[in-house]
Amino acid sequence: MALRIVLADDDPVYLLGLMAILEGEGHEIAARARDARELRAAVPDTLPDLAVIDIRMPPTHRLDGLDAALDIRRSHPAVGILLLSKYVEPTHLRRLLEAGADPGTGGVGYQLKGRVTGADFVTDVVHRVAAGRYAIDEDIQRALYSSPRKRARLDGLTDQHRKVLHLMAEGLSNSAIAAKLSVNTKTVEGYVNIIFAQLGLPSDAGKEYDRRVRAVLMYLDSDG
Amino acid sequence: MGGARPRRSAVVLAVAGAAFGVFVLVLVAPDRHPDSTSTLFSGAVGGLYLGAGLLARWRRPDNAVGLLMLLVGIGWFAEDLQISTDPAVHTVGLFLRSASSGFLIPLLLVFPDGRLRRTRPQEGAGAAAVMDRRTRPVAAALVDRTLVVAGCVVAFLLVPVSVFFHASVTPNLLLLHPVPDLHEAVEAVQFVMSGAVVAVLGWRWATATPPARRVLAPLLVVGVVGALASGLDGALGSAREWSHTPLLTVAHLTVLLLPPAFLAGVWRVRLGRTAVAELLRGMPLASRAELREALAVALGDRSLQVGFPAPDGDGYVDTGGRTLSVPPGRQATDLVRDGRRVGVLVHDPALREDRYVLEAVVSAAALELDNQALVAELRASRRRVIEAGDEQRREVERALHDGAQQKFINLGFQLRLARRRLDGHAVGGVGGGAVGGTADGAVGGAELAGMLDDALATLEQGHAELRVAARGIHPVVLSEAGLVPALRSLASDLPLPVDLHATGLPPLPEPIELTAYYVVKEAISNVLKHADAETVRVDLRHDEGLLRIDVTDDGVGGADPAGGGTGLLGLRHRVSAYDGRLVVRSEPGAGSVVSVTLPTGTVIGGEAEAGEAVREGGEGREEEGVGRGGAAYRAGR
Repeated sequence: MALRIVLADDDPVYLLGLMAILEGEGHEIAARARDARELRAAVPDTLPDLAVIDIRMPPTHRLDGLDAALDIRRSHPAVGILLLSKYVEPTHLRRLLEAGADPGTGGVGYQLKGRVTGADFVTDVVHRVAAGRYAIDEDIQRALYSSPRKRARLDGLTDQHRKVLHLMAEGLSNSAIAAKLSVNTKTVEGYVNIIFAQLGLPSDAGKEYDRRVRAVLMYLDSDG
Repeated sequence: MGGARPRRSAVVLAVAGAAFGVFVLVLVAPDRHPDSTSTLFSGAVGGLYLGAGLLARWRRPDNAVGLLMLLVGIGWFAEDLQISTDPAVHTVGLFLRSASSGFLIPLLLVFPDGRLRRTRPQEGAGAAAVMDRRTRPVAAALVDRTLVVAGCVVAFLLVPVSVFFHASVTPNLLLLHPVPDLHEAVEAVQFVMSGAVVAVLGWRWATATPPARRVLAPLLVVGVVGALASGLDGALGSAREWSHTPLLTVAHLTVLLLPPAFLAGVWRVRLGRTAVAELLRGMPLASRAELREALAVALGDRSLQVGFPAPDGDGYVDTGGRTLSVPPGRQATDLVRDGRRVGVLVHDPALREDRYVLEAVVSAAALELDNQALVAELRASRRRVIEAGDEQRREVERALHDGAQQKFINLGFQLRLARRRLDGHAVGGVGGGAVGGTADGAVGGAELAGMLDDALATLEQGHAELRVAARGIHPVVLSEAGLVPALRSLASDLPLPVDLHATGLPPLPEPIELTAYYVVKEAISNVLKHADAETVRVDLRHDEGLLRIDVTDDGVGGADPAGGGTGLLGLRHRVSAYDGRLVVRSEPGAGSVVSVTLPTGTVIGGEAEAGEAVREGGEGREEEGVGRGGAAYRAGR
């Protein structure tokens, strides 16, 4: 499946390299942006499947890319967002996850810039985000396992629950998780409610997605 | 405030008082009893009060002592009216028979600086306040005010009212109904009042500092000798000629000496010396306002202004930071130290007459200002060193990222493309039908693919190491997203749960945020190394321009509060360069607390403003307080 992609990065060499890799896999680069302003204009013009965005861009060279991504999430929620950054910070990921609160929101990816040369970048990361799922850098996930105490927060979960939470953290919907685990959707919903209760996330009508985000963040980072 | 008006009114009072005195003395001269004081003595005492009062008022227009001396002098003459045998004059005299003591009590109590003691001595810091250092200020102020009020009530209410009930030798025209013993009762009240004033003065003497005692000395010596002489005379009775005359002479002499004694106390040289001594003793002073107050007290010029070098190097500013100008009728004296002008005093031109005090105060002020400037310069240069170091680290991080890391990534692109080309070739080779070379090509291709994969893996590893190193050099997330997200990021990398509590924290100048970040980082790293702790709690609060950081652990404790690790020692310097304080509290078995307070009111450099504006986006739900506080902070400027 050929994807239509918008690329945003102020480094032309990096932009060309990324283009070569994505086009090499048969994807179409719908637009290239060199700063946040160009990116904001390119998305409504081209309506891509996916926007690959460097967090740090002109004009301020701070979080312009992230701010533009949050705007895109609000104006074009279906567009998948793949953030690239030289360091990954849970705080940035949280802002992006919290920006999309409806079902049918596009996927979210947050990866180190260096990962794009990895063998599985296009086949795994790009496709996952385009499919509406999550692709969170392993550096963030690693923080979870850095201390026994942090792991203990998830101690109350059985292996099965943990597997469900892990799939949630990959951005899978309940039905997708059900298909993956070869169980029916009702069973997954039951699991998910147990996980919420176990993590101390109170049920609150209409806040299903919010609870999901927080569960995922707790899973990804003890800080959630 | 100039001295022109008080001076003019003092001259008017003195002239009017002298005229009144001459009138009274001439009027009552024929009626003077041989036993009562002579015209000469009475005139001398009244005249001395008027003269000394005028002098004191002239030299120190803002000191009430001179004015009160003038009033005592006039009161003194008024008291003589009762000597008259003319019933009308005598009756008027009866009303005024305690006029001088009504003014004498406040005079004694405000001596020497013209003010009653205050409830809070640190505010006034006057000579009287200094004298009361060891007494309780509220009680002292209350006693003073009570005595002044009581003295006035007695002299100007009780005595006049008693006239209607007091029969005297010369007919009292207003006598309504004679009340026996009333005269004695009023005198007893007056005696008690005098005793109370003497007691207060004695207490002041007992609690005064040595320089302050020197100011009080002339008055007290004269007062005590006079009181002893008249007391002794009263005890021995006026019949004994051998004791009566000399004792009376002594008593009269001391009464004559009182005005000069008051004058001596007010006289700038004596008071000035003690004031300069007090000024030097009180240094160094914490603030510019305190310095101005201390100098104003030392010079006896309340409206004194101190000019500090303006921040832009042009002209002077006052304690409030406003540009200082010399109004007409004031004089400016430069504060010079080693040939450099370090400030200026704008003062009453009359102070020139007292060169000794002015020069001493000017030298002291120059010393203090120079000292303040040096301390500020030292802090500023320390900050420059720190900020230059920060900038260097930022640059190294940027160089690693934009340079080396970028090259790594580009190298990765090339390897990845080569790897793909190889895959394409392998596919193409099968279809191409180069019969002889197929097997060799496939084997060589697979080997090459393996080498490229290895190279990519090594590259990724090197990249990760470089990332960790670069991040350790400078926390980029701090400049990107602010202190709290930076600390969250720091906490998420640690093998220890960190409870971070920071709400309502405004965006702060970057050097302050960096300092706070390094403090927390170093404190936590010490906990990891030594404390064997289960959890760490980090609290950040911002109140009234002060950032307070507490890093608390539940570990073994017993850390050296003075040291706290070499890392913390280095941070102590950093914290103190920003006017802050770092304290380590650690009890064996009870964990440790590293507490830092940092003033944040001073914005260093001009870049902080821009940095704050960029972060306006807020930090999401958890840190809502950050965004709101930030808005208030900006609005508050």
